[in-house]
Amino acid sequence: MSKGEFAVIGTGEVPCGNYPDRTEFEIAYSVSRMAIQDAGIDKSQIGAVLGAAHIMGGEYNTEVVFGRLPEAIGLRNCQVTGQTVSGGASSHSIRRTAEGILRAGEAEYVLIVHSQRFSQFSMNEQAQYFAVAGSDLEFEVPYGMTYNALAAMVTQGYMTQTGTTVEQVASVVVACNRWARLQENAMFRDKELTLERVLGGRMVAYPLTAYMCNVLADGGSAYVMTTAENARKVCDKPVYILGEGSDYSHRSIIKSKARNLSDMGKYLAPVAQKAYDEAGLGPSDMDIYEVYGSYPGVNLIVMDALGICEPGRSGALVEAGETSPGGKYPCSTNGESLGMGHTGTGCGFAIFVEGVRQLQGKAGRAQVPNARFLIENCGGGAFMDCHFTIMGNEIP
Amino acid sequence: MNIDEIKELLGLTDEDMKKPLPKPTKWSQPYWDAAKKHKLVFKKCTKCGHIDHPPYLYCTECHVDDHEWIESSGKGVLNAYAVNHFGVPFPFWPDLPYVTAMVDVEEGPRMITNIVECDPEELKNGMELEVVFQERTSEFTLPQFRPVKK
Ligand SMILES: [Zn+2]
Repeated sequence: MSKGEFAVIGTGEVPCGNYPDRTEFEIAYSVSRMAIQDAGIDKSQIGAVLGAAHIMGGEYNTEVVFGRLPEAIGLRNCQVTGQTVSGGASSHSIRRTAEGILRAGEAEYVLIVHSQRFSQFSMNEQAQYFAVAGSDLEFEVPYGMTYNALAAMVTQGYMTQTGTTVEQVASVVVACNRWARLQENAMFRDKELTLERVLGGRMVAYPLTAYMCNVLADGGSAYVMTTAENARKVCDKPVYILGEGSDYSHRSIIKSKARNLSDMGKYLAPVAQKAYDEAGLGPSDMDIYEVYGSYPGVNLIVMDALGICEPGRSGALVEAGETSPGGKYPCSTNGESLGMGHTGTGCGFAIFVEGVRQLQGKAGRAQVPNARFLIENCGGGAFMDCHFTIMGNEIP
Repeated sequence: MNIDEIKELLGLTDEDMKKPLPKPTKWSQPYWDAAKKHKLVFKKCTKCGHIDHPPYLYCTECHVDDHEWIESSGKGVLNAYAVNHFGVPFPFWPDLPYVTAMVDVEEGPRMITNIVECDPEELKNGMELEVVFQERTSEFTLPQFRPVKK
């Protein structure tokens, strides 16, 4: 990719939370119409539609693969459709797919859609499927491993090796909650979490209390992407993709490229640096840091890689309120999965779409004044990979 | 709560309360065969000496098939752990609280396992551990670890 080759011109999103009567199809169709309207183009201009996978949702996935979306949305000139999936990193792999389609000249505008409805499944079904999806079925699940246990181990190791306190870890949840309360689509928009409340929550997997673990939620979002050239013709404030950096580490955490958990930030720093370099910008040029770690300890590990503090010291930054609204380093301004609600493959989409809103000046009460540039990340699996993207409303 | 109370409370069947068992592959079967005999083994490439855990079809370093299964000393060091209290699959409810951990085994591989026979409060990263074997069923035995008694 060359700097500023592609741009996002419009987004759509539905409220996140417990909405059992709103099907995944309704979500997908709704956010698609919103994104096309917000982009200010005619639906006939969309040449490709890519859907993300619905976790545990076989019927929806089959329908996406079999081409339901273009037909239901009425995209008469669609040439390409399909599904791109890499778990929590899907927002990245799907965007890269869209970039390839645009570069090939196959389509002028690409619509990207995410939808998830966890509430149709029982707690037991969710525990059977999603809770253990982060763990190896043969060598980990028989030991009672879960996603929460995995995140708890990573957090425990990181805390011990860096001297990060549990209060600092809990502060990430508080900061995310402050942002979520400014977001009309966030699951926790009306629920205030204090440090005491987070620390006093039910212990799930030491050192993580229930508030430090994700709540699965229904939700979805969509956006329209095009070439920078097209974007300037149809949109007042396109958001350009300025730089990208990716790395894959492992399937199981035991094979992590960063052998010491305290070094995970150091391992990720050059990956973030690649994105900064491609954009020709540095950490201090960023107005926002859209971090997606899915667990507070993992958010700290990602922050360690951003060049805003010494690796291992991000907890102090968060504890001091620097990542909260009004702070020096606004982080995860949609409240992240911890405040927004965890929509499976959708957390990365939600934070990407929020980044676009921020740079278009459409972020409502959460708006960071005059935001020009931001760094965003996503990752999937058992923290298998990490993808950093620099976005801006101008090309530096 | 004991297992019968949990089953009654949640309306679960015996099947629901069965712990998940490994489903061995062609290339991992020797690992479980050895565990059944209370041996912890790793798949080692006879060409380049690389140890793969989990084992895969061929050496992930040099792509060669030739390998041997080496027996571990069973000594390990605790790298990190979690104490599970809530929100685990139902078959593990009777075990709560239980410890899941990453353990660095002497031969090099890191494993996910349980730490047993200890008070979770006394766990410390870096502490010395030794392998023990839990016979889960007549077919499957799981290598677990416990602190080395001083
Ligand atoms: Zn080899």
